[in-house]
Amino acid sequence: MRSRKGIRKSKWLVNTVLAIICLVWTIPTLGLLVSSFRPAADILATGWWNILPHRDWQTTEQLQLPKDTDLRAPIIVNGVTYTDDQLRAGVEQGGERLIWENRRARLLNVQEKEWTVISNFTTQNYETVLGGKTYEIKMPDGSTKTEKGSGMSRSFWNTVAVTVPATVIPIFIASFAAYAFAWLRFPGRKTLFVIVIALLVVPLQVALIPILRDYTALGLNGTYFGIWLAHTAFGLPLITYFMYTSISQLPKDLFESAFMDGATNFTIFSKLILPLSVPALASISIFQFLWVWNDYLVSLIFLGSQPEVQVLSMNIANLVGSRGNDWHLLTAAAFVSMLMPLAVFFALQKYFVRGLLGGSVKG
Amino acid sequence: MHTQKTKKVLSAFILILAFVMVITACGGNQNNNTANQPGNEAGQGNEGATNEAAGDSALAKALNGEFKGTKVTMFGPFTDADEVKFTESIKAFEEKSGIDIAYEGSKEFEATISVRVNGGNAPDIADFPQPGLLKGFVKDGKVIDVKSFLNDEYLKKQYNQSWLDMATMEGASGEVMAGVWARSSVKSLVWYNKKAFEEAGYTVPKTWTELMALTEQIAKDGDPAWSIGIESGTATGWPATDWMEDIMLRTTSPENYDKWVSGELPFTDPIVNNAAQKMSDIWFNEDYVYGGRKSIATTSFGDAVKPLFDNPPKAWLHRQAGFITSFFPEGLTADDYDWFPLPPIDEQYGQPALISGDIYAMFNDRPEVRAVMEFFTTGESLKSWIQTGGVTAPMNDADPSWYPNDQERRMAEFVKTADTIRFDGSDLMPGAVGAGTFWKGMTDYVSGTVDLDTALKEIQAGWK
Repeated sequence: MRSRKGIRKSKWLVNTVLAIICLVWTIPTLGLLVSSFRPAADILATGWWNILPHRDWQTTEQLQLPKDTDLRAPIIVNGVTYTDDQLRAGVEQGGERLIWENRRARLLNVQEKEWTVISNFTTQNYETVLGGKTYEIKMPDGSTKTEKGSGMSRSFWNTVAVTVPATVIPIFIASFAAYAFAWLRFPGRKTLFVIVIALLVVPLQVALIPILRDYTALGLNGTYFGIWLAHTAFGLPLITYFMYTSISQLPKDLFESAFMDGATNFTIFSKLILPLSVPALASISIFQFLWVWNDYLVSLIFLGSQPEVQVLSMNIANLVGSRGNDWHLLTAAAFVSMLMPLAVFFALQKYFVRGLLGGSVKG
Repeated sequence: MHTQKTKKVLSAFILILAFVMVITACGGNQNNNTANQPGNEAGQGNEGATNEAAGDSALAKALNGEFKGTKVTMFGPFTDADEVKFTESIKAFEEKSGIDIAYEGSKEFEATISVRVNGGNAPDIADFPQPGLLKGFVKDGKVIDVKSFLNDEYLKKQYNQSWLDMATMEGASGEVMAGVWARSSVKSLVWYNKKAFEEAGYTVPKTWTELMALTEQIAKDGDPAWSIGIESGTATGWPATDWMEDIMLRTTSPENYDKWVSGELPFTDPIVNNAAQKMSDIWFNEDYVYGGRKSIATTSFGDAVKPLFDNPPKAWLHRQAGFITSFFPEGLTADDYDWFPLPPIDEQYGQPALISGDIYAMFNDRPEVRAVMEFFTTGESLKSWIQTGGVTAPMNDADPSWYPNDQERRMAEFVKTADTIRFDGSDLMPGAVGAGTFWKGMTDYVSGTVDLDTALKEIQAGWK
């Protein structure tokens, strides 16, 4: 048996390791957050960590060499000989650095290390992402016409309209199914359950074209109902299995006594099962919500990107422009799209850890 | 007791039913109503007078308002600013004809179009920037032959023969006209900072020797002449393929170029190797390229043009297609920049022009779709886009006075007067090569991970 001290020590070790992992895990996100507040030109020029105080070369004076200096021959500056390559990369000399400011004009920078902080921040990225880009079109008569592109707000609500039903419907159906699989005895129960489990390993990509054909025949393409159905179908196996493991663990005596008192299956389900499986429901809701919220492929195929139905992930992908010239907007867009999942996560978080265990104890 | 149970089950059932009905009701509203509404024909009778096409053509009928209230779906790769410009350019037609052209742009066009077509959900019209991609659909007989509703004479009037040839593809049963060319872009352009260029006393080179002399002169003056960047996300490497194609056109015959594009002339051939060497003479000379060889593969193609307009310029020349003007720093006017054609290398092949363009293919045959397709064969369909800048019209009836500045007008002229016109080879090659090993092989070669022979072998392996 280990001593108390040993346990405390190992706990301390685990916590440190976890803290380090968390830190490493969040650094890219932090960098993204910082970048989202920086102007595009700055992102290109310096890394986001430069907003922290650091020592950097600052130009203190400039040296003008004779205009006819031959760049391919050794260059003499203040009695010391340098090559052009050295001056291009910057050459250190007694705490100072020499580097070209302008080769053509034969102008040299003399630089010293100094403490600096970059504090050039802007909310422009967020304004563009939320309010939509403005396009200036030059009209034939020389005037400029400003067209306002659609911002994120519309696709944000579209995504809500897709995600909420696509989370509620499969969980609703899967809970019924899980109850039936766990507590009702009917012929073919095991076979059906195995089929549901087997569907877990079928990648949804194989279903895209066949389902698209059916949708075309039924006229469901580009409709919310179609995408709810698709997300429901793709989500059901996992949710059913998840709810099954949680519901099947509930004590049998509970149902038996309820049954003795004349409760129907529906009463048992609604009065006993649902309240008891709130943690499991909450955690699978988070899973399904995140999956649908972040989904790109399924909505790309079944919903398309017509503005009236376009979801957030597709809007963000289009933000970068036809040739990827507006990549800097992605930083801000990523944070805007994160808001909703974060809100959902923190709202349901207290159930999350409890519910996570739901799938693990009984396999 | 029994009745009570049934009652509860029944109420539960009704509850579910109500829920499902609510869902379906919500979904139903989103259904797009594509039904024809040919009711309102009368009102716009005399609008057709403005139209030159024959009275019984689909376009004339459309302008008479015969297809009012119908909807034509379009799917293409342009998003963002291009989408706004496109929408602007079709607005007048939509108002006049009453046809609603529902354009849908996606960054994932290349990947999505196959799924949509095979899933039976093809758009009425799709915009292909890479004819190589369209070839597959034509072969499977999925594409409607343009000649089935537009006659040869009309097409010959609207397009030069070379455009028509490029649109002719092998169909399920014989050759078909796979689509109509809607917008084009000229690629063999070398951009420069007009004011700085003149101040420095440089002159526009007419031959390759002069170009290399200018490059050397600029290097001597203290700047790298060229600014080159080939980074473009997953498509990294494509500007390098454009260079290769441009040099191929200048170092070998057009016939060899065609063979190369169709796979008959392998990448490992000395002709291709020679072209790559010519390119390397500039690209791998540390004095000639801004940032040196190592920066080429990591510089975004859109950012590569910016050093030209720094004050003072950090680089002087940039070879890129006409669309690059939209990447110029803000506030630049047509007085600040200009271009010259990439000069010929071997005199016997004259002055070639490398071009690219978008071909619109039709997947569903309905009268209103025909009308819209016919509309896209007219210069009028591109007018406002031309006026706002960034495209060159492939149609013959586009008025040169529409171009917003001299630079763009000269592009159109350049294509008309060039000795050879060839389409961007990598866009014609099958995707595995043109948008695969060619990009990757060039990137590997430029970044120095493999030598030229290995790179060319790698590219050739894409043909299989």
